[in-house]
Amino acid sequence: MLPLYLLTAAKNQPILVELKNGETINGQLVNCDSWMNLTLKDVIQSSPHGDEFLKISECYIKGIHIKYLRLPEQLMDQAKEQNLQNMEQRNRNNQKRRGQSSNPNANSNASANANSNNSNSAPQRQQ
Amino acid sequence: MENQNNHKENRHNNNRRRQNNNAQKPDGPKREAILDLNKYKDQQIRVKFIGGRQVVGTLKGFDQLMNLVLDDVVETLRDPEDDSVLTKETRNLGLVVVRGPTLLTISPVDGSEIIDNPFAAPE
Repeated sequence: MLPLYLLTAAKNQPILVELKNGETINGQLVNCDSWMNLTLKDVIQSSPHGDEFLKISECYIKGIHIKYLRLPEQLMDQAKEQNLQNMEQRNRNNQKRRGQSSNPNANSNASANANSNNSNSAPQRQQ
Repeated sequence: MENQNNHKENRHNNNRRRQNNNAQKPDGPKREAILDLNKYKDQQIRVKFIGGRQVVGTLKGFDQLMNLVLDDVVETLRDPEDDSVLTKETRNLGLVVVRGPTLLTISPVDGSEIIDNPFAAPE
C-alpha cells in the first residue's frame, strides 16, 4: 500500500492535515496530486496554538509543507477492495485487448472505466 | 519534410507512451494541476507563506508554477515578539507578484469566517 495511493483513495472523505508550522486543517479531500498538493472543501483551519479557528469553503495546500495526514480508519480496507476491483477490471480489459486485434481506444477506455469506479463520479451510461 | 514527419511520429509515440502509463495505474495520484485558479480570478484570496506571512489580495493572474499576480494586497502583520501570532495591524502592499514555491495555502476570502472552537468538548 503506497502512501499516495491511500491518499487518493481518501477522496471525498474527511481528513486532517497538520502542516510543518503546526497549523491543522480539517476538511473533505477533493483532489490530490503526486506532490501531495491537496484541495479540500468545507475546511476548518486551526492555528498552531489551537486558539483561532477559521471556517473556509475551499483550500489549496502545498504538499511540501505537510507534516502528516490523518485519514479515516476504514480507509485501508476500502482501498484494498478498490485495488482488487481495479486489478480485475484491468485483467479483463487486457484479455479483451489480446482477444481482439489491437485497438488504440481500448487503453483509454480502461483507464476511464477504472477512474469512474474509483471516484464514484456520475455513472457512465452504456447501452 | 521527412524530418517533420519523423517529429510528428515521435510525438505520437510519446502520447501513446503517456497513455499507457496512465493505464497502468489508473487509481494513482495525478500529475496535472488539481486547482483551477481561473475560478478565483478577480476575486479576493487569502495566501499564507512559508515563514508565517499572510496576505489578502485580488487575483489578477497566475502561471503553471503558481506564481501569482495579486492586486490591492493587504498584509496582516504579526506580533513582533511572537512570530506565530497575527495582530489586527495591516499594511498595504499594492500590486504584488508572489512566487509559487513560497506558497503555503491558498483559500478564497469569500465565505470565510472566524468561528468558535468546533472541537471543544461540551461542558
